[in-house]
Amino acid sequence: MVLVFIDHDGKKPKKGGLEAITRAREVAGALGVSVAGLVVGSGIGEVAEEAKKYVDTLYVVDAPEFADYTAEKWTAAAHAAAQKAGAKAVVAPASRTGRTWTARLAARLDAGLLEDVLELEPSADAVVAKRYTFLNRVLEKQKAAYPVVISVKPNTAPLAEPKGEGQVEALEVALGELEQKVKVLEKIQEEKKRVSLTEAPVVVTGGRGMGSAEAFKLVEELADLLGGAVGATRAVVDAGWRPYAEQVGQTGKTVQPNLYIALGVSGAVQHQAGMNKSKVVVAVNKDPDAPIFKETDYGIVGDVRQVLPAMIEAVKKLKD
Amino acid sequence: MKFVAIIRQVPDGEAKLREEGGRIDLSGATMILDQMDEYAVEEIIQLKEKHGGEAVIVAFGPERTKEAIRTALAMGADRAVFVKYEGDVDPITEAKALAKVLEEEAPTVVFTGGQQADWDSYALGPAVAEALGWPSVAWTTQFELLDEGKAKAKHDMDEGAQVVEVALPAVLTTQQGLNEPRYPTLPGIMKAKKKEIKEIPAEELGVSGTKVEILSQEIVQIERKQKILDGTKEPEKAAEELVKLLHEEAKVI
Ligand SMILES: Cc1cc2nc3c(=O)[nH]c(=O)nc-3n(C[C@H](O)[C@H](O)[C@H](O)COP(=O)(O)OP(=O)(O)OC[C@H]3O[C@@H](n4cnc5c(N)ncnc54)[C@H](O)[C@@H]3O)c2cc1C
Ligand SMILES: Nc1ncnc2c1ncn2[C@@H]1O[C@H](COP(=O)(O)O)[C@@H](O)[C@H]1O
Repeated sequence: MVLVFIDHDGKKPKKGGLEAITRAREVAGALGVSVAGLVVGSGIGEVAEEAKKYVDTLYVVDAPEFADYTAEKWTAAAHAAAQKAGAKAVVAPASRTGRTWTARLAARLDAGLLEDVLELEPSADAVVAKRYTFLNRVLEKQKAAYPVVISVKPNTAPLAEPKGEGQVEALEVALGELEQKVKVLEKIQEEKKRVSLTEAPVVVTGGRGMGSAEAFKLVEELADLLGGAVGATRAVVDAGWRPYAEQVGQTGKTVQPNLYIALGVSGAVQHQAGMNKSKVVVAVNKDPDAPIFKETDYGIVGDVRQVLPAMIEAVKKLKD
Repeated sequence: MKFVAIIRQVPDGEAKLREEGGRIDLSGATMILDQMDEYAVEEIIQLKEKHGGEAVIVAFGPERTKEAIRTALAMGADRAVFVKYEGDVDPITEAKALAKVLEEEAPTVVFTGGQQADWDSYALGPAVAEALGWPSVAWTTQFELLDEGKAKAKHDMDEGAQVVEVALPAVLTTQQGLNEPRYPTLPGIMKAKKKEIKEIPAEELGVSGTKVEILSQEIVQIERKQKILDGTKEPEKAAEELVKLLHEEAKVI
């Protein structure tokens, strides 16, 4: 079998989970085997009811000890399910947590690890994957023989459709010494955004060139007008103008919207790593030599304090 | 106490990449200590300054990696163990070799970069921990040693963050915000030249190939239109023109 880890929001599978199912089905197809799913959590009966529609067998790890994520517990659950399923491949969303526990799992299974994959070409004896490397600048084709552990880059695979009623199996996972070594003391939730940054069709990002936290009112206004989300550079986050949750880049979020607007952003490579696959890039910067202009479709050389209000007016006019 | 940072050398992100026969050619590129690993080096130096003991660098890679090791030693680490390997390798294989070094070193805690700027991989830290049967914490933004072989750490999750207590030894991966890496000073650079770098061929640690074969590499540069308007004199006009282009030509608004 192929095992797919289905992440969820406590009620139903998340988008990342449905994308992982799509890729798991591709691998299962090449191997001529069925797909087993895995859901992990505490009090997740509702999730299981929903998730079983996508797989042939669904393993459910539902216990109070699994209320909070730790890499060790998630690895233990995935390992138990993989053993039970006799899985030749394990597929999971490349969320931040997914990227971590899949690494542990690959080490435990002594498997090849294909991280953050964009596309798969599975065959009966190996999986070829496309993924970005070198800070999102190089498209690489990698090949790993089975057993293999695969994490799927968010927003790159079609969402799986339900296709029946899988068999549900409760799975007991015994927690050993290792799994007791990390205790969660506190959970800090990100404030909920209007549109999620990583899924927004439009992202309007302000950089240090915005000049102040107050100036982001205009960034928000433009984002709202375009039905988009607000992004920030690290310089802006370091200055305390915007929350880290909005940071785009290597150590922030990776976004790939239809329209990315960079305002007062220099375009450092670490920033580009999070946005250089956007469909259309717009930049406003007073420095004609700013590196962002090399990554720009439409731009304005000018002072963002003059250009941004004028852009907002022009968009409003267009909408009338 | 002994604090270890695992480091790698990677191309400077600002450096232009070259492609040769379907492979990235790094021979002309400026190479640096991975900036995510820099946080790891800074953290172990700070831990040593606060708690005493030793700050040790463990590195993996080809001969050129020594330059990055010297940088870490110049920042203030005491000595290094260098696992040398010239071929392609995957993070899991690398982790298993490094685990053997760490077993020998028996450190209090290990730090390494949260993401690698060449492989865009997140796996090394957690995989090293797994190979040793140790716990791991990923994307650490705050770290504090507690008594009785424990530490408290704050780390980023998919949405939000967690504060955890972790039993040591453990492997932690870095995230921005953990610290501000110092620059090597001139005296630091001089001293680094005399510090010990113990070299171990990776083959002696069981590395004989890679589980993940690289079939091809291709630089992807999305062709950008680069229609740049002058908004220095008449910003309103430029803004209007831009919005018109986005509406009529790009059709994105
Ligand atoms: C390991 C590591 C990871 C990193 N990760 C990230 C990351 O995830 N995301 C990220 O963003 N950065 C990241 N960085 C930092 C990155 O290198 C840059 O420092 C950062 O992106 C710069 O932010 P900025 O463009 O807002 O500021 P600056 O580089 O200061 O650029 C400001 C720009 O605004 C322009 N400007 C100023 N005033 C005006 C005005 N009135 N009108 C118009 N334009 C104006 C200037 O010409 C300049 O180009 C990382 C760095 C490291 C070392
Ligand atoms: N190569 C780099 N490119 C961009 N930013 C960096 C780089 N190295 C460090 N930084 C970070 O960018 C900010 C400004 O650094 P500096 O240019 O040293 O003033 C600091 O938060 C640094 O940590």
